[in-house]
Parts: sequence; C-alpha cells; structure tokens
Amino acid sequence: MKRNIPLVVCLVMGVSMMVQFFVPHPVSVAYYELTTRWFRIVAAFALVLGTGSLIMYHSDKIQRKRQGWFYSVVTILAFVATAVIGLGWGIKRGTILQDVIFSNILVPLNASMFAILAFYMASAAYRAFRARTKEASLLLIAAFVVMLGMVPLGANLPFRLPALVLLTVGVAVGIYLAVRNQNWRGVLVLGLLWVLLGLAVRFLFAPRFGAVAEQVLSYPNMAAKRAIVLGVALGAVATSLKVILGIERGWLGGGKS
Amino acid sequence: MHVSTDILTWLAVVLTLGIFSFLWKDNPFYKFCEHLFVGVAAGYTICVTWHNSVYPDLITPLFGQGQLLFSIPLLLGLCYFARFIPRVSWLIRFPMAFVLGWASGVAIPAALQADVLRQVQGTFLTPSIFARWDVFLWALISFVGVVSSILYFFFSREHKGALKLASETGIIFLMVGFGASFGYTVMARMSLLIGRFQFLLRDWLGVIR
Amino acid sequence: MKFFQTLLRIDRRIIYLVVAGLVMLPLVRPLGLGVTSGPRAQVLFDVIDSLPSGKTVLISVDFDPASMPELYPMMAAVMRHAFARDLKVLICGLWVTGPGLADRALSEIPPEYGKEYGEDVVYLGWKAGVDAVILGMGENIKSVFPVDYQGHPLESLPMMNEVAKLRDIPIAVIFSAGDPGYRDWIRYGQTRYGLRVSAGITAVSAADAYPYLQTGQLTGLLAGMKGGAEYEILVQKSGYSNAYMPAVAAMDSQSLAHVVIMLLVIVGNVAYFATRKRGA
Repeated sequence: MKRNIPLVVCLVMGVSMMVQFFVPHPVSVAYYELTTRWFRIVAAFALVLGTGSLIMYHSDKIQRKRQGWFYSVVTILAFVATAVIGLGWGIKRGTILQDVIFSNILVPLNASMFAILAFYMASAAYRAFRARTKEASLLLIAAFVVMLGMVPLGANLPFRLPALVLLTVGVAVGIYLAVRNQNWRGVLVLGLLWVLLGLAVRFLFAPRFGAVAEQVLSYPNMAAKRAIVLGVALGAVATSLKVILGIERGWLGGGKS
Repeated sequence: MHVSTDILTWLAVVLTLGIFSFLWKDNPFYKFCEHLFVGVAAGYTICVTWHNSVYPDLITPLFGQGQLLFSIPLLLGLCYFARFIPRVSWLIRFPMAFVLGWASGVAIPAALQADVLRQVQGTFLTPSIFARWDVFLWALISFVGVVSSILYFFFSREHKGALKLASETGIIFLMVGFGASFGYTVMARMSLLIGRFQFLLRDWLGVIR
Repeated sequence: MKFFQTLLRIDRRIIYLVVAGLVMLPLVRPLGLGVTSGPRAQVLFDVIDSLPSGKTVLISVDFDPASMPELYPMMAAVMRHAFARDLKVLICGLWVTGPGLADRALSEIPPEYGKEYGEDVVYLGWKAGVDAVILGMGENIKSVFPVDYQGHPLESLPMMNEVAKLRDIPIAVIFSAGDPGYRDWIRYGQTRYGLRVSAGITAVSAADAYPYLQTGQLTGLLAGMKGGAEYEILVQKSGYSNAYMPAVAAMDSQSLAHVVIMLLVIVGNVAYFATRKRGA
C-alpha cells in the first residue's frame, strides 16, 4: 500500500494531465486549473524542504564538532538572521532584507563567486586546452572564430585572406607528412579538402569575422545543438513515460515499505 | 578618484575581496564569506517563498477565505517533512507522486511539440531553400549536420561502413558546436569578472564614472 | 626548450594578475573600439518598436545576481525602450533570487520616463512551480498572482484590466541564466497559448538557443554582455535613452579579455608541442 498508492497517484496524475492537453471541455479545464494551483503550493514546500535539509546538515556538523564546524555556525546564524528579518519586516524595497542583505551581501557574494571562474578559465585555457587531436583542433578553431567574431575588436577583421593562408599552410604541412609516409590516399584527401574548403572560404563564408561567427553559429553549431535538443527531448519523454507507468521507481526510495 | 564613504558599499567590497582572496589560496576569510553566502541565500529563499508563494496561495485562501479544499495541498506539502522522521518517512512518496506525475504528464506533449516536432520541421528541406544557392548550401549542410550528429549518438549498432562515415561527419559538427559554446563561455565568464571590476572601480573607488 | 618548460610551469597567480590587469585597463582607459548592433538584437528591437502604444510587454526575470553583469543591462535597455514607446511593462519571475533584481530595476527605470506603478508597470513577483506558473498565466494571470509583489490585489491595478492572460501579451522577453528559462516559456507558454517569446540569455547558453531561433520559436536574441551592448546602442541611437550604458562600457575589456585567452591557448599549445617534440 505504501508503494502502490503513490504509484497509482503518479499514474493518474500523469495520464490525466496528458489527456487534458487535448480536451478543451470546461470540466477538463477546471481540473487543470485546480491541479496547477495545487502544484504551485506543493512546489513551494519542496523548496522549504531543500533548505531544511541544508540546516539539518550544518546542525549535525556543529553537534558532532566535525572539522570546520565553526563555519556551519556562521551559516546557521546567517540563515536565521535573514529569515527572521525577512519574515518579520518584509522583502520589498526599503526593507533591511532588500536594501542591506540582498543588495550588499547576497549580490556581491553571489556575483564574486562566479566572477572568479574567469581566472580559472584563463588558467585552464593555458594549461589544459591542447590541440592534440583533429577534433580538438576543430573545436579550438570554432572557439577562436566565435571569440573573435563576437567582440568589437575582432568583428570587423577580414576573414577570407587569413583563413586561406592558414588553410594552405595547414594542408601543405599535412601533404608533406603524407608524402613522407607515402600515404597517397591522404595526399588526395588533403588536396580535395583544400579545394573544397578554399571554395567555401572564398564564396560561402562572409568576408568579416563577425558575420562568419554568425554563420558558424547559425548553421553547423545549430545542427549539432538541434541533434542534442532532439535527443534530450526524446529521452525526457521516455523517462516521463517510465515514471508515469511505474517502470521507473527510484523516486520511491528503498525499503520494503 | 573618489572613494565611497557609504558603509554598505564598503561591506559589499569587503565581501567581494573576501571571495577573490581564494585566488591566492584557501583561507578562513574566504570560508567565512562562502558559508555566509549559503546561509543568506537559504534565508532569502525562505522569505521570498513565504511572502510570494505560501502566504498568498495557501494561507490566505485556506485560513483567510475558508476555502477548505486547499487543505489537500497543505497536507501534501507537509508530508515532505516526514523525511526527517524515519518512522513515517514513506509519507514523502505522496507529494512526490503528485509532483512527478503532474510534471511528467504536462511535459510530454509540451516537449514533443516544442523540442521534437518543431525542431524536425525546422530541419526539413523545403522549396524555399532554392531561392539562392548559398541558402540552399547552408540548408543542406544543416540537414546533413543534424542527421549525422544524431547518428553519432546511435550506439545500438557498431559504427561500421555508412554509419561510421555518418558518425564521423557528426563528430565534426559536434566539435564545431562545442567550440562555439566554449567561445561563448569565455565571453560569459569574462563578463561576470568585468561586472565585478566595474563595481569596484566605479561604485567603490570612483575611478570610472 | 628550457624556456618552453618554464613557460609551462608558470605560476597560475601570474596568469590571474595578467588577466586582471588587462581586463581592468580598458575600464579605466577606454580603447574606443565602438559597438555595432547585430541582426538578432535588431529583430527584437524592431518588434518592440512596432508595437502600438499601450500594449503590454511581459518581462520574466529568470536570473540571479551571479548573472547580473550580463542580463541586468539588457533588461534595463528593453524596459527603457518599452517605456519610451509608451508600452506597458509586466514583470514576473521564475527564479527565487530574481525579485530583488526586478525591484532594483523598478526603482531606477520607470521614474526616468515619468511612469506610474500600477498604470504603466506592474511587478507580479515570483512563484514556485515554473511550468505551473506559466500554464496558470496562460489561463488567468490573476489566479496565479492574486496580489502583486507589493501586496496590492491585481484588480486594483488599472494596467491589469487590459491583461488577463498570456494571449493578451504580444511579446514576452525572457531574461534567463539557465533553467528554468526561455525554454520553459517556449514549451508551455508558446505551444499552448501561442505566446511570442524572445530571450536575453547568458553567453554560456547562447549557442544552445540557435535551434529555436532557426525555427522561429525565438523572436530575436540578446546573447551575453555583447547582446546587452547591442540593445543599449540601438536604444540610444534611436533617441530613447541617454542613460549610462554599462554593457557598452565593458566591451573594450571584453575584446581584450578574448585576445588574452586566445594568446594563452596559443602560447600554451606552442610550449606544449615544443617540449613534447624535444622530449620525444
């Protein structure tokens, strides 16, 4: 009963909401509005639960005097103070929560946490980003095109001549290596690639980096991202069906009951 | 240069520099700021949830207007807290069943329509692409890109022959896509840093106006 | 060889200092590179510019303070544009940390145009539930938000007499830093209620938005700080605002930052391949 009734509730809710999408009858719409309203209320409790779990974790850390427990005291005190001030005096403009806590504590802390990622990214770009394979090199080239094309400094730089020069140099090096290894098929492929890419750079791509970045984003990038969107959406639909039909039961938790 | 005399600005600056101090090395000041952030964020969430959601959507209709039907979502919501009482922790399954069932049921037609049907529709090669040769070429490239990228993720068969060629073509498009994402990520991260520097240089030091 | 090995072992804090210095320099001494608007920002600008006076634009504040540098300037620019065109602005949000930011915008921008709260702009606030909020607004906004963020009943606000549900809104501009965000508005607001959706998003998720742009599910796009700068320039050049443009001011730093990252990648790779070749 403790497992079966929730499964039945899940099934009923899932099927009814799917069917409701196609049924404009007033009873169906009234049911839809009612359950939507209930969902918003229950979702709010889920947020509170998440916060409660956080407080439980830090309280436990203080009780057991685990390493760094003093900082958990900071967390609990900050939470209690913020909650009391906000619940007691409100959250609107002019209140302590908005003018002091949000604007001068939460905003700088939150913004700074993410701002320091820029430094880590710079360090990672220097130490870890290596063009070891053809795929990684392609990724780098696409990244450089977008990075240059999306800022004022690079948007108006000419694209065609530098691209043709780089392409010719790259293909020449490749052909040299292929000839050295007597890889004649490789020589042919590289030659064909040079002709095709050269024509694309000359006639298909725009003359400036800004517009080329737009083209890269709007066509090959769009195609790749669409494949991912389709895959994720179909996966989400499949998982949702599994949850509704009770095939996926991980959310019930463990134990016989 | 016109340094701010506002104490709240100085508070924001101290906290900003506290987080930045982690760049040198981990230190107690950074840990303090980090834990302060977690506590304040959790407290802020509670306040906003109460004032914007729980009070107007539940307390007012149930206790203020006497609409007893709202006792059902109240009970469902309270069942969430059974998680903290081991003997009755199974009660949490009821609100989860309601939420998961509702959300899954609502998501299926929405996802199918917006993320599957419309996206497939956008991939089709229609007569309008023949208006110009470059439009035609780009449409063809996009079509090939979508199909080959999807085939790359098809692992039910070994990638041999035509499937291998399609999958390798798909990798090219995926690498271009990830490269574009990386390029944009660089922009995003740098923007956040620039935003903080603008605050420090403008609002605190008054160096820029 | 030793030189390249030294290069590879350089302390990361030196890299941090170099990045910090080169990002701060153009803020203090602008390079004057200028900003031009792009096609996607122009599309959104044209749509809002062509709306008849008195229509309502929906703005959803779906971001937190971490994404403020990217999204707040573009939100401010869109609000200024709407007010300059005598459009009404209805604000809501799906992120719990959004209300403070929306409240800040409300205190700064409407007074610049002499706009009154309740008549020209209403802030609904935040609600839990994401898809339930959007779907509820599709049927009846007042059922989702019986009172606004300030606690006023929606019936008492004159602006809300014109807007009952999502179909009454010609365009929604979603400023989102991730999930929930514009995708939810497309999935639930657009597929069911035909809501026209545009988005201002962080650059991190900008590349992912192109499939929706291509199908027309998104009308225009403001991507990252650059997108914000583009919209600020459009609003300023059209004579709708003379306010300070933080995104435009940041573009010189952005340019230099990108060049720095590219140089770091190139130098890192040169040093790596030089040491690897010699070592082999």
